[in-house]
Amino acid sequence: MKLPPITLEIIGNKLTALAEEMCLTLQRTSRSLYVKETADFCCALAGPDGRFSAYPRGIGVSGFVGLDLTAAIEAVGPLEDGDVIVTNDPYRSGGLATHLTDIQLIRPYFHDGAVIGYGWAFIHCSDIGGRVPSSLSPTNQEIYQEGLQIPPVKLVRAGEPARDVAALLAANSRSPEANEGDLQAMLAALRTGGERLAAVVATHGSADVLAAHGDLVEYTARRARAALSRLREGTYRFTDYLDDDARTPVPVRVSVTVTVSADSLHLDFTGSDPQVEAAFNIASHGTAHAWITTRVLALICTLDPSAPLNAGLIAPVGVTAPEGSVVNARHPAAVGIRHATASRVNDALGGALALAAPDVMPAASSGLVVPVVVAERHAGGQNVQVLEPMVGGTGARAGSDGVDGRDSGISNLSNNPVETVETEIGVEILRYGLRPDSGGAGRWRGGSGLELSFRVTRDDSRLLARGLERLRFRPWGREGGGAGAPAELVVASAEGVERRVGKIDVLALRQGDTVTLRTSGAGGYGDPFERPESEVLRDVVSGVVSPGAAARDYGVAVTGQGARAAVDHEGTAELRAAGTPASGAHVLGPERDRWDGLYDETTADRLIAALFRLPAPARHGRRVRVLGEALDLLPDGFPSVPATDRELEGARAGLLEAVAALEDEAARSEGELP
Amino acid sequence: MNDDAETGTRTGAGTDPPRGPRGGIDVGGTFTDVVLTLPGGGTAHHKEPSTPADPALAVARGLSAATAAAGLAPADVVDIAHGTTIGLNAIIQRRGARIALIVSRGHRDILEIGRSRMPSSFDLHAAKEEPLVPRERVIEVDARLDANGRVLRDPDDADLVRAAEELSATGADAAAVVVLHGHTAPDYEADLTARLAALVPDVPLVSSAAVWPEVREYERTLVACMNAYIQPLMSGYFDRLEELLTGLDVRAPIFITASNGGSLSLASARARPIETVLSGPAAGVTAAARLAQAAGTTDVVTFDMGGTSSDIAVTVGGAPEFAVNTTIGGMPLILPVVAVGAIGAGGGSVVRVDDFGLLKTGPDSAGADPGPIAYGRGGQRPTITDCYLVTGVIDPEEFLGGRMSLDRDAAEGALADLARALDGEGNQTARAIADGALRIATAGMAVELHKTLARRGLDPADFTLVPYGGAGPTHAALLAEEVGITDILVPASAATLCALGAVGADLRRDFARSLRRPLDAESAAAVRSVLDDLAERARSWLADQGGHEAGPVRLEASADLSYLGQAHELRVALGEADDPSELDAAALAEALHTEHERLYGFRDTGAAIRVGTVRLAVVAPRPDPGADRAAPATGEVEPRAQRTVTVHGRDVRAAVHDRAALGSGHRLTGPAVIVQDDSTVLVPPGWSAQVEPSGHLRLRSRS
Repeated sequence: MKLPPITLEIIGNKLTALAEEMCLTLQRTSRSLYVKETADFCCALAGPDGRFSAYPRGIGVSGFVGLDLTAAIEAVGPLEDGDVIVTNDPYRSGGLATHLTDIQLIRPYFHDGAVIGYGWAFIHCSDIGGRVPSSLSPTNQEIYQEGLQIPPVKLVRAGEPARDVAALLAANSRSPEANEGDLQAMLAALRTGGERLAAVVATHGSADVLAAHGDLVEYTARRARAALSRLREGTYRFTDYLDDDARTPVPVRVSVTVTVSADSLHLDFTGSDPQVEAAFNIASHGTAHAWITTRVLALICTLDPSAPLNAGLIAPVGVTAPEGSVVNARHPAAVGIRHATASRVNDALGGALALAAPDVMPAASSGLVVPVVVAERHAGGQNVQVLEPMVGGTGARAGSDGVDGRDSGISNLSNNPVETVETEIGVEILRYGLRPDSGGAGRWRGGSGLELSFRVTRDDSRLLARGLERLRFRPWGREGGGAGAPAELVVASAEGVERRVGKIDVLALRQGDTVTLRTSGAGGYGDPFERPESEVLRDVVSGVVSPGAAARDYGVAVTGQGARAAVDHEGTAELRAAGTPASGAHVLGPERDRWDGLYDETTADRLIAALFRLPAPARHGRRVRVLGEALDLLPDGFPSVPATDRELEGARAGLLEAVAALEDEAARSEGELP
Repeated sequence: MNDDAETGTRTGAGTDPPRGPRGGIDVGGTFTDVVLTLPGGGTAHHKEPSTPADPALAVARGLSAATAAAGLAPADVVDIAHGTTIGLNAIIQRRGARIALIVSRGHRDILEIGRSRMPSSFDLHAAKEEPLVPRERVIEVDARLDANGRVLRDPDDADLVRAAEELSATGADAAAVVVLHGHTAPDYEADLTARLAALVPDVPLVSSAAVWPEVREYERTLVACMNAYIQPLMSGYFDRLEELLTGLDVRAPIFITASNGGSLSLASARARPIETVLSGPAAGVTAAARLAQAAGTTDVVTFDMGGTSSDIAVTVGGAPEFAVNTTIGGMPLILPVVAVGAIGAGGGSVVRVDDFGLLKTGPDSAGADPGPIAYGRGGQRPTITDCYLVTGVIDPEEFLGGRMSLDRDAAEGALADLARALDGEGNQTARAIADGALRIATAGMAVELHKTLARRGLDPADFTLVPYGGAGPTHAALLAEEVGITDILVPASAATLCALGAVGADLRRDFARSLRRPLDAESAAAVRSVLDDLAERARSWLADQGGHEAGPVRLEASADLSYLGQAHELRVALGEADDPSELDAAALAEALHTEHERLYGFRDTGAAIRVGTVRLAVVAPRPDPGADRAAPATGEVEPRAQRTVTVHGRDVRAAVHDRAALGSGHRLTGPAVIVQDDSTVLVPPGWSAQVEPSGHLRLRSRS
């Protein structure tokens, strides 16, 4: 490092505060719902190399610290003082933008004619055009349906607003005034950043500030390496699945192989499915991109909570992500709901890292973020409200139960008070609480999911619930700990007729309908039969575990109810003697076990490898066809409902045949076979 | 009296003398400060070691000692105002009463879910805050209102009996009752509470809408729960205090300071202890704001630097800023409180070299025990105070007026160790490391101060810094230079300002009632009728305070308004609420447009408006405690000594002055050090210091 340690500490403090002041300016000047309520925005300072050297802590979106401005800056060509770049294009910005609703601005900061840093700001805007209001829908098949793509262009040229660009943006949004407000708030934040940076340069000189960018990143990288050196060296693999791709019932596979060597990590996503014709793709550009490294950042920051946030955090992380896969999608793949895939990448990484850091990593969290949205039509148009952003709990780990009903794994959103929700829209919230018996059983119990149940009080309403996942494959447990309960969505009519609903895009509701969403529980850790009776009793008394589940899952017999509940020690001894605890590093749940019974790791690897030998446009359709044909031979609802051995054998034989045929076809097309 | 107790008296001629000596008391973790304002003007102050096992004991002892030193008896004191952190500590440490919660069916997990956020988004081991009421003591009852206050479900007798039985089974000492939308129909919730209370007469019940009828069920529930949670502890303390003071023949009324910077009668504090939880820091801010205003300064940043941390607060136009989004013990508190924010290091913050070669200050603190290395009480890690000593800012022989001798060599040795750890060779001196640590601490505080002002769009250069606490005056000029503040006012009794603040605190209580409905003629009428009702409650509350107000009573009305569809509400002042008849829909709309234009530069006259929460504050001044006066200067300023002080990496020869030797009008220029018996004031090069007639010290930057 170039600077003396005292100077570096002082400049480092000032630059981090600069980034936080940018956020405060943005927050103060913005009127956007996404800024005020859900905090879906951020600002930061980058060095001349385009990497973030100072990133805010405790304000804004924390996960984007590893993003890189370089591609967006290079795309616009030479810059001059007073320029501001705008983009939302995940492909042409090199992955800086991650879906089209995130509008990004970059402003170069000059001193004596040379760039001494870049300010960056983004806000999730309300609408950027496309097929549906709010622009985001899981069933969008390509990015053209998701709204206006803005390649990196100058929004401001040498201090002069580019009115042509602004006009183009405004014409392509359903909420142009709101977007204009967002742009103004970001421009104000970038001005603040410039003023504060000039003040730091005035005190410390531009040479020290330039050196500080590099030193700060290097300092954090050293701390990240020191944290990673505490992991067990080796190579670890884990795979997890999205339930389906929203357009077909075929699950989407995410595979990661983590190699830990000394103080660095390599993540190899080979074995992940080809990109899908739905909005679940991540445009990572094959780099250690924010949405495929979130769990790694969380691990580093858990091991070293006070490491300054900047690009140095991911410096020790290398990535191999096959081009055209769901984790390194190519244009024009749709990316709107990439956070659902990021949740599953999180789980895949968590599963692999658990093998390298068994005492640190928890079992799978509930792994979903579902903004439950109700839209009602009325004379003046429509009223759209998020009732609650539904999450679940966190996974258990060695030494600690998971957290019930809260999970900040992907984003740390605030919920909405029931009392304000009911003044905004025609619903009565009947229950908003923890979901009993949903957390995976274990020596340490997984966090409970949530239950939201509401009655619709007006006709002509619609339900949206993007991000609904874990309806099929459960959050896994560890070291004998059970998997969490899968999510459920049930709609009951006023007459009491219930229907279980799967992943939805938009669902029409009638007055009197009761909608109940139960989010998945998180995974447990360790043999539940080793959980002390007193802790099981405590859960029964508090009501998060029922007496039935205490007996079935924990082998603990509880008599009486509420405050009068007590453990029947003899009954417990009998139950525990009779039970056979689960085992294995990961407990995946019956649905995943059934699925793996059809489509084991080797078969999946073969099919995916063969698909990647086909021309890119053919892969998704072929995968859906091959697996769809196998599913057609199995009962409806498989793997949530079991199949007989004979059915499974038949489907598996057909699948293996199809895989072999595909391999031949791929070889032929590559000229290996006649 | 305890041997460690320290007593000093400041006298002078005051204007408008009060009726008799008045006592101000601040119970802190280490010391219980007592300030007496004397009939002839001037103040007497006393620091008594706190007695955490029986905090009232130190209050009684301190009051005896302070009055004795001033030639008075405790019985001579005409009123006593008093702040305590007992309630706050009980909440933070979860040591309050065993309480239960009764809620609308379906909402048992109100406290478990909270606002859904985790304390950290990047910590795989983060845990959520421990709820004040565990799930097994939360009981559902079939009572439910809708957003308009209409009863959707009312429990039958069987349901109530069941709930009462479950409540009894929890063994709770007290319980809060929360019906969804209870704030829209406080009478309904009160009635339900009464029906339940009839079934469980031995468990005190409180209705959430009676405590604080504001929309947002989690936050309202917390106010009611926190109140019930600390009530037994606080009542016990008040009983003991009354017993001890009666033993001293004290018949003066006792006032308790509140988090809103005001005070309330002992009876009010018993009923609503939640109002007092953040009273200590609030009293310091109001005292600083008041003395600054008396000195002609209305825009102030207060800077309270104590042992473990530093706090700031912003006062614009003479009125401290309020917050309705404080956090205590990991939980939000929506009562209006003086907005005090932590900005970093205190005198006891530890200085260290991290594993990667950078010098760090804090967040660990050596606190008061063992304290800095130089205290010689077993502290092993160098602190900010050790750095003042090694850079020459404070002298080992003059600390706390010479009552405590410091070990400079030990401090220097530890900092020399850090010098070696930092560059491996020890080329840097302990002095350079100490100076570096102070610069790092200063930069850390400066950026936080900057952010605090940035959040409000304010410029530090427009403000006067008012430092207090043991180290505030020492660090004030360093911080001011870093943020671009050029004016500092050091109070005459900087170390006991919170106690002084208690003496002069206004009687004050805040009221609120949420409406949350579109603005039209009907809702404007509702605003007026709520204001009438709140004003009546305010007057009746004031009447119960014992009639100790001195001066006109103010009823300050405001409302949270927003454009429909906008999530963010603006707090809009509506003037005095004595006669709200002028407040029609047009006037309310105009109030929002004006405020929106001030903040965002435009008015959205086409948009519909929503009325959120209507608020009213009743403020009744108590007799002015009178200001300190300094004796006029006699003769020239003569430094007592010279010593080398390191400031910003440079060694300078600083003149050393005793504060007691300086009279009103005396002026001196930096570099200088002014030693007073409870603190040391650093006047860096480029600054001047002048004693004001009030006895306060004014520092100005010449740049």
